[in-house]
Amino acid sequence: MKVLHQSQFFISYQCDKQRCFFIEFPHKTIKLGFCQLLAFRQQVKEIDLEAHFNGQNNHGMEMLMLCNRQHFFVFNTLECIDLKEFVTGTFAMLELNSLLATSV
Amino acid sequence: MKDLVRQKLSIHVDVMDLLNKQIEKEAHSSSAYLAMASWCDHNALSYSADFFYEQAAEEREHMMKIFRYITDNGGTAFSPEVGGVNHDFKSLEEIFETALDQEIAITKSIHNLVGKCRKVNDYTTEYFLHWFIQEQMEEEQTMRRALELFDLMGTDGLGLKLLDERIPQIRDKRPE
Repeated sequence: MKVLHQSQFFISYQCDKQRCFFIEFPHKTIKLGFCQLLAFRQQVKEIDLEAHFNGQNNHGMEMLMLCNRQHFFVFNTLECIDLKEFVTGTFAMLELNSLLATSV
Repeated sequence: MKDLVRQKLSIHVDVMDLLNKQIEKEAHSSSAYLAMASWCDHNALSYSADFFYEQAAEEREHMMKIFRYITDNGGTAFSPEVGGVNHDFKSLEEIFETALDQEIAITKSIHNLVGKCRKVNDYTTEYFLHWFIQEQMEEEQTMRRALELFDLMGTDGLGLKLLDERIPQIRDKRPE
C-alpha cells in the first residue's frame, strides 16, 4: 500500500494488488473501491462549511455514510475543514500519478 | 504505482464534475420548458404549448445522454434537483426570448466544457460533446426563427393566433 496523501487527521492509501483505496480515519481504516471514493469525494464537496460559521449549522457536526451505508462518521468543524483539504489533496495526487503514468 | 483512476474511469475527474453540472442545467432547462408549455396551454396557444412540451422532452433526452455517458465510462452521475422554475410570463414573446437566453446559456456551458476537455486532454469527452455543439446551434436557430415571427407578424388581434399556428414550422429548415 502506498500513501497518496496525508492531512492533519486523515491518510489515504492506494493498494495496487487489490486495486482499491484505503482511508485511515482517527479511529478506523476503511476500504473503498474507486466508485466509493468518488461518492465520498462528492459527499465531502457538498459539506457547507459556511453553515458552520453563520449559525445555520448550530451543532457544527456533519454526518457521512460511506460505502453503501457500511460506515457512519460524524465530523466536527475542524475535521470538516481538514476533510476538504484531504480530498482535494488525494485527488491531486491521483492526477499527478496519472500524468506520470502517461508520460512514462 | 498503478494508475487505478484511469483503469476505472475514461473521463477526467474535473470534466466529470462539469458534466454533472451540465446534467443539472439540462434538467432545469427541461422543467423551464414545461412551465412555458403550461403557460401557453392556459392562454389557448396550443401549438406553442406542444412545441414547448417537445422541447422539455428533448432537454431531458440531452440530460440522459450525458447521464449515461458518465456512468458508461466508469463515473458517478448524480440525479439533479430542480428548483426555482419561473411560471410567470407577460407574453408569448417574452417566453421565446427567455427560451433563446436559456439556449445561449446552455451553449456557453457546453463550450466551456469543451474548453476544459482540451485543457486536460480529455479527447473522448470532447468528441462526445461535438453532437451537443451542433444541437445547440440548431436550438438557437429555432428560437431566433420564432422571434423573427413576432417582428414579421406582430401580436395584435388575430396576429397572435396566426403566429401560434406557425410555431410548429419553425423547427423545419428554411427552404434552400
